[in-house]
Amino acid sequence: MNKHKPQHELQHKQAFDEPLWWGLFSAGGVCFAVLLPAVILFIAVLLPLGLLPANALNYERASALLFSVPGFLFVGAVICLPLFHAAHRLRHGLFDISVGSDALNKKLMYGGAALLSVFALGLVIAGMLS
Amino acid sequence: MSTEQVNTNNTSTKHLSVKRYLPDNSAESYWQEYELPVDDSTSLLDALNHIKEQLDSTLSYRWSCRMAICGSCGVMVNGIPKLGCKTFLRDYEGDIRIEPLSHFPVQRDLVVDMAIFLEHLAAVKPYLIDDNPAKPYDPTAPETYQQSPEQLARYKQFANCINCGLCYSACPQFGLNPEFLGPAALTLAHRYNLDSRDHGKKQRMAELNRHEGVWSCTFVGFCSKVCPKNVDPAAAVNQGKVEAAKHTLIALFKG
Ligand code: SF4
Ligand code: FES
Repeated sequence: MNKHKPQHELQHKQAFDEPLWWGLFSAGGVCFAVLLPAVILFIAVLLPLGLLPANALNYERASALLFSVPGFLFVGAVICLPLFHAAHRLRHGLFDISVGSDALNKKLMYGGAALLSVFALGLVIAGMLS
Repeated sequence: MSTEQVNTNNTSTKHLSVKRYLPDNSAESYWQEYELPVDDSTSLLDALNHIKEQLDSTLSYRWSCRMAICGSCGVMVNGIPKLGCKTFLRDYEGDIRIEPLSHFPVQRDLVVDMAIFLEHLAAVKPYLIDDNPAKPYDPTAPETYQQSPEQLARYKQFANCINCGLCYSACPQFGLNPEFLGPAALTLAHRYNLDSRDHGKKQRMAELNRHEGVWSCTFVGFCSKVCPKNVDPAAAVNQGKVEAAKHTLIALFKG
């Protein structure tokens, strides 16, 4: 019964990390909904079908676009934030079907998202420096 | 429509299956079938009263106001949490299955133990804190309890809760973890946090910003669907998440 616990004990149980995960989840959800459909339409549908002007995204243009500060932000919004969104859903989904322990799932899911994010952003930075 | 018309309209016989649990006789629950006469005005509570008075006096269930205000008559109707007095048998065809509210320990028949729900309600300090800084009988005290209609409107919807617990039966997260404060308690906390007369937000945030506080909610939203008073607990809990996030940021910067 929490009502009998002194304030410092409650403070002790504060979930200081959850606002961060939830913030990334929310931001990722917005990016998922707003940006990803357009990105998929252009890069995964129109481009392979040859419906874009021939040199709209040729190698020079694409690498110039990607390996830049806007490109860095683009990767953050289209890959990293949606990764954290998915990680949050997976973590809660696993809890819902009682798989694993939440403490471990949390580390695996958010850790995975963080690792992939660092990898993606690292590639962009490497491209910018080269 | 005259009363006579209502009473005699579409009289028919309906079939009710009630989940019985009589711990004095057996540790197992079982289904019992009842046939009873109903008309357009028969509520589920009327039907249970009919069973108790005419067919089977051993049936136990809770009720008091029979007008959706005391919050004591909640049961599962075909798997959905409902108030017995606000549910009409005219809306159901075929077999109607009545069970005690989900996610609560059953004491007897349709009577559940709501102790944990009441604990969660008490934990969020659902009352005005430090609303009146003046001492009693202080002639220089400012007039207390003044509130503009706009200030009232901020929390009014969240103040309509009747503590029926239907939202707890609807919430899969409460089902998985009864330590989760749950929809109604988090909504009540939000209701007092939004009240211009209240100064207890800091104390309540300490409860809300726990894993078992707002962060156990995964925004399923079924609580808001089943709520008989349109309180919209799901909205309150999610506004609570924003508040808890702000609270954490402020705490971080203040060290
Ligand atoms: S929020 Fe609605 S469903 Fe939940 S206890 Fe209050 S009145 Fe009942
Ligand atoms: S009897 Fe009071 S709410 Fe149904």
